[in-house]
Amino acid sequence: MDVNVPDARLMPATLAPPAAFSGRGRRFAWTLLLLAVAFGAVPAAIVGTGSSYLAQIAITTMIFVILSASLNHVTGTAGLLSIGHAAFYGIGAYAAALLSTKLGLPFIVTLPAAGLIAALFGFLVALPTMRLVSIYFAVATLGIGEMIYVVLLNWVDVTRGPMGIRGIPPIELFGWQADTLLTRYLAVAVIAVACVWVLHRLTHSYYGNALRALREDDQCADSMGINVERLKIESFVVATFFAGIAGALLAHTSAYIAPDNFRFMESILILAMVVVGGLGSLPGAVVGALFMIVLPEALRDIGDYRMIAVGATMFLSILLLPKGMLAEGTALGFVRRSFSRGWATIAGGTPVGWK
Amino acid sequence: MVFDVFFLQQVINGLSIGCVYALMAIGFTLIFGVLNVVNFAHGEVYTIGAFVGLMVITAMAPPLLAVVPLVLAVGAVSGVGLERIAFRPFRRFTDEASQKSRAMREATLLSSLAVSIMTREIMMHIFGGDMQGIPSGYLLQQPVAIGPIMVASGSLVIFATSAVMLGALQFLLYRTQTGLGIRAVSNNQLGARYVGINTDRTIVTTFAVGSMLGATAGILVGLYDGAISPHMGFAPGVKAFVAMVMGGLSSIPGAVACALLLGVSESIATEFLSSGWKDLITYSLLVITLVFFPQGLFGHGRERA
Repeated sequence: MDVNVPDARLMPATLAPPAAFSGRGRRFAWTLLLLAVAFGAVPAAIVGTGSSYLAQIAITTMIFVILSASLNHVTGTAGLLSIGHAAFYGIGAYAAALLSTKLGLPFIVTLPAAGLIAALFGFLVALPTMRLVSIYFAVATLGIGEMIYVVLLNWVDVTRGPMGIRGIPPIELFGWQADTLLTRYLAVAVIAVACVWVLHRLTHSYYGNALRALREDDQCADSMGINVERLKIESFVVATFFAGIAGALLAHTSAYIAPDNFRFMESILILAMVVVGGLGSLPGAVVGALFMIVLPEALRDIGDYRMIAVGATMFLSILLLPKGMLAEGTALGFVRRSFSRGWATIAGGTPVGWK
Repeated sequence: MVFDVFFLQQVINGLSIGCVYALMAIGFTLIFGVLNVVNFAHGEVYTIGAFVGLMVITAMAPPLLAVVPLVLAVGAVSGVGLERIAFRPFRRFTDEASQKSRAMREATLLSSLAVSIMTREIMMHIFGGDMQGIPSGYLLQQPVAIGPIMVASGSLVIFATSAVMLGALQFLLYRTQTGLGIRAVSNNQLGARYVGINTDRTIVTTFAVGSMLGATAGILVGLYDGAISPHMGFAPGVKAFVAMVMGGLSSIPGAVACALLLGVSESIATEFLSSGWKDLITYSLLVITLVFFPQGLFGHGRERA
């Protein structure tokens, strides 16, 4: 806790500092800063340098922000270690690609459809696997992820196998086409911010607290009247939905997808983002995605040693910060102070929440 | 009866692949037993075994039997090094909160993964990403006739080596003081420490033993297939991991049985399906096992983790 800004919950309502100095002012400032970076500085840099390489990195980063935030929802908050997340990303990508190239559906249909199809698969996967605990669940998701990869690779009639799908149309809304780098980035960034916002509201609500209870001790949560099975399935479905959205964005921005984009190593990369950022912390997931995408690109100058350096950095960051860059405790305090009114008290002293 | 002979040959090929998976799965099982953490760098130990074997063969051209002890030694050294780099640092947190913390457990898992990425990339840097051929004098591909069945000599070598190593492992675990220590730590680490077992040393020993088995599997497959590459460790690593989980995480006979089952079902599946789909069999076996036997086929009521 910051010493200079007293925690509003600990003081009588009359002594609480004015809003401008506590939660709301800071929340406003931080949100403004983040939005300014996402929608001001990055597009300015893309336009200023005119570099397609930079724009491509920015778009990839935004897609991975969605992926790591969604994995954080199921692995960090609900405590189900999933190592097959890339497969649902792949299902979303293939769904969007097939719907738009074979049926000619517009982006506004393929985006939610990709999310829903991935969520449907997530639901089907979750139903039988949810009674597995800890490492058994992780291995089951690994197995299912690899099964989906094998199907994408070998079902040549539909997915064109290792050749991948080409010529996926770009993002397009009511005749407006995101065909320049800048508009493509902006479209992806808007969707990414919206996804993170939804996940943020979900995690930092009463519902999110139930998920945390589930993570800490599911038997105990069960005895407190929480429907454990259903919550687990719901969190998995939500995570796979957002993974599907990310897949659709990849398909529409890169115009080409192949099964190799959705292998086990990709799942591990997403998990690494979440762990390096801090399990259970949404700001951590975002920072982790930035870190793990931007770092390899920044190291491109040292060429052959790049992946060695990535491995070493990952190892060192886990070694020195085993709870992540923005550990959940820190992140929750940060969120309480800056972003959410869920923990603030109003004049009468009754907590405002989502109960 | 052409089909039957062919079928039997496929079964024998499958069993020899299964033996390789079994050697790796035992390493996984031993390490998971003592530490309760999955070691994702096990596939790299297998690759190191294969490459060191190749280096020794090209440099000195020793007799085949001399390669094996050398690979064993290299496996032991890499296991000890791996433990020191990727696992030891995370055991410095001994308070209860850290030990129960999910973040800590996942951090250990990912540190082994990070080490495996580094090792693989360094090997790529040294040896290049392409397949490397084994000198033909060392290849274990001569056909041997057993009655009507033709078997590659490599299969027989793999059977013999696995049998010897499994026997040695049983001896180590059930007839020696060290094995008693490993079993004690695997059963209850804190309890083992209370009765005076040096848990750190036991864990290091376990890593050495498990990695010896993994490295041997690597060089055997290299000699059998005739080509090795820095990426060769991934597929058998995942298969061995699957075998361990199907067997019930902490049961060595279970891991061996499931590894053999996987090997045989894969090689039979290539007969009916194209080879691209054969991995589907492995993973569906895994998922079916987990759904109907959530503790694995040979697991027995392990405490909830």
